[in-house]
Amino acid sequence: MAKFVTIGERLSTTAPSVNKAFTERDPEPILQRAKQQLAAGAVYLDVNIGPAESDGEDLMKWVVQLLQSECDNVPLALDTANKKAIEAGISVYNRSKGKPIVNSADAAGRIEYVDLAAANDAIVIALCNGEGIAKDNDERMAYCQTLLERGLEHGMEPTDLWFDPLFLVVKGMQDKQLEILECIKMFSDMGLNSTGGLSNNSNGMPKHIRPIMDSALVAMCMMQGLTSAIVNPNDLRLMETIKSCDVFKNNTLYADSYLEI
Amino acid sequence: MPFTAKSGKFNAKINAVEIGTGDKAIKIGGENVLPFYTFDDAIENAPKVGIEITDGGVAAEPECIQKCYEGCDSVVDMAKKAASFEGVDFLSVRLEGGDPNGQNKPTEELIQLVKDIADAVDVPLVICGSKNVEKDSELLDKAAAALEGRNALILAAKEENYKTIGASAGLAYKQVVGAESAVDINLAKQLNVLLTQLGVDGKSVVMNVGTAAAGYGFEYVVSTMDRIKAAALQQGDVTLQMPIITPVASEVWGVKEAMASEADMPEWGCQEERGIDMEIETAAAVLASGSNAVILRHPESVKTIKTLVSELV
Repeated sequence: MAKFVTIGERLSTTAPSVNKAFTERDPEPILQRAKQQLAAGAVYLDVNIGPAESDGEDLMKWVVQLLQSECDNVPLALDTANKKAIEAGISVYNRSKGKPIVNSADAAGRIEYVDLAAANDAIVIALCNGEGIAKDNDERMAYCQTLLERGLEHGMEPTDLWFDPLFLVVKGMQDKQLEILECIKMFSDMGLNSTGGLSNNSNGMPKHIRPIMDSALVAMCMMQGLTSAIVNPNDLRLMETIKSCDVFKNNTLYADSYLEI
Repeated sequence: MPFTAKSGKFNAKINAVEIGTGDKAIKIGGENVLPFYTFDDAIENAPKVGIEITDGGVAAEPECIQKCYEGCDSVVDMAKKAASFEGVDFLSVRLEGGDPNGQNKPTEELIQLVKDIADAVDVPLVICGSKNVEKDSELLDKAAAALEGRNALILAAKEENYKTIGASAGLAYKQVVGAESAVDINLAKQLNVLLTQLGVDGKSVVMNVGTAAAGYGFEYVVSTMDRIKAAALQQGDVTLQMPIITPVASEVWGVKEAMASEADMPEWGCQEERGIDMEIETAAAVLASGSNAVILRHPESVKTIKTLVSELV
C-alpha cells in the first residue's frame, strides 16, 4: 500500500492574509505557508483561490508557477469554482512530482469537473454529493457510481478519482459519523482512492480540542482505508498520528526516527 | 482478449553510487526493477564483484587460496595480483589485524599498508574494519583521510560509531560511506536516516545489511533484502534507496563446510571445491535478493559470479 497522501489546506482565501497576498500578488506570505506545510510533511498543497470570477485564470497561473518554481515542483490541488482558472493552472503545471488534482467535482452541478480532469490527465476529487448532503450511504454510493462512470466514460483510470464522502461536523451531526467511516470502507473495498476535508468534523470546537478530534478521526479513517486527506499539516499531533498509522498499515517501514522524516 | 504484459518497472529507483576514480571506477545501483528483472526494464549497472585480501597477507588465507598468490612476498604484491584476477571489479582490504582482541596491530601500521596498496593498484578500493567498533572508529577515520581523492568505500559505519565514521568518510574526506546493520531492516533504515541527518549525502551511502553463509540463518538475510528493495522501489522510500554491498567471503570462509579439511571429513570431498561452492551459492543468492555488489575471496568464485552476472544483465 502507498503512503497516506496529506494535502495541505493552508493556502486558502478563507485565511485573510492569504486572500490579501493573492489579491496583491505578494509572494512572501504564500511561500512562507507553503514551505511550513511541506516541512511538516505535506505531499500535495491545496490552492484555494475562492470563486475568483474576475481574474481567476491569471491568479491561478501565477500561484502555480510561483509555488512550483520555489518549492521543487510541488504537486498541487487546484481548488476553485472557476473552471477556466483550473485549466489555466494546469496549462503551466509541471507534473514531475505528481499529477495536478482538480478540486472538486460532485454528482450534480459540478460533474463537468470530472470531464475537465479527464481531458487534462489530472486527478479529480469526486465529492459524493448531489444537490445537498447525501442522506445515507445508499445515496452516497449512488453518487460514487455516477462519478466513477463519468470518469471511465472519459477514459480516466479509476484510481485517478479520489472519492470524498464529505466529512460532517460532529457538533450537529454526531449521529452521522459512523456512516462516513462505513462509506470509506466501501470505497476501499472497491479499490478506490479517497480523500476529504477531514478537519470539518471539529468545526466550531475549541482550538485545543480540534487536533485531538482530527487525530482520532484520521486514525479511524485510515483503518477503514482512507488514502488521503485535506488537512492542516502543521498540526503536529495529526501528522504524528498519520505517520504512526502508516507504520501500522505497513505503508512505510518503521525506523526509530520515523517521526522526523 | 489478448494478453498484454505489464511492465514491473517502478517509478522509484536505487541510487547509482560511483566508487573509485578514472577508467576503473565502478557504479552500483541505479535500477528501477527487481534484481535481474531485465525484462521489465534495462538494468543500468550490472552487479559488481570484488575480491578481498587482509592485512595478514597470504599466510592468513585458507590453504586453497594461498596457492593462487604464489610468489607474492608482501600484502602489496598480493593486492596487485588480486586486482589482476579475471572478473575483479574492485579490491577490498580487510584490516582484521587491528582487532584489540586479536593481533592489535597499531593504526599507523595498517594505514601505511592502506596507502601502499592504494599506490600500487588503480582499481576501486573498499576498506573494511577490524570488526571492533572502537578501533574501527579510529582506523576507518584514518583510512578515509589517507585515501582522500580515491572515492573509496569505507565499510562501515555502524549504529555505535556512525558519527565519527560518517563525519570523517562522508563529510571531511568525501568517500563513499558504508552503513552496516546486522540483518535488521528497521536499523538499516534508521542508520541511513541518522547518516543523512548528520549531513552525509544519501547518494553516497552504500548499505551492508548483513549476511550469513548459505544455510546459516540465510532466510533472514533474504527476507531483509527483499523487504528493503520493496520499500525502496514499491513504496518509494528514499531512506532505503541506497545500493547494497554484501561481504560474502568473511562469512563463508569461516563455516565448517568451507574450512573442514578433507582429512577430517573425507566424505565431504575436496575442501577447495566446497569452499568455492559455498562462496558461489551465497553470492548468487544475495545477488538474486538484491545485493548490488559482493565481496569474495577465491579467484574461481569471482570468475564464476562475474560470468553469471554478465549472462543475466
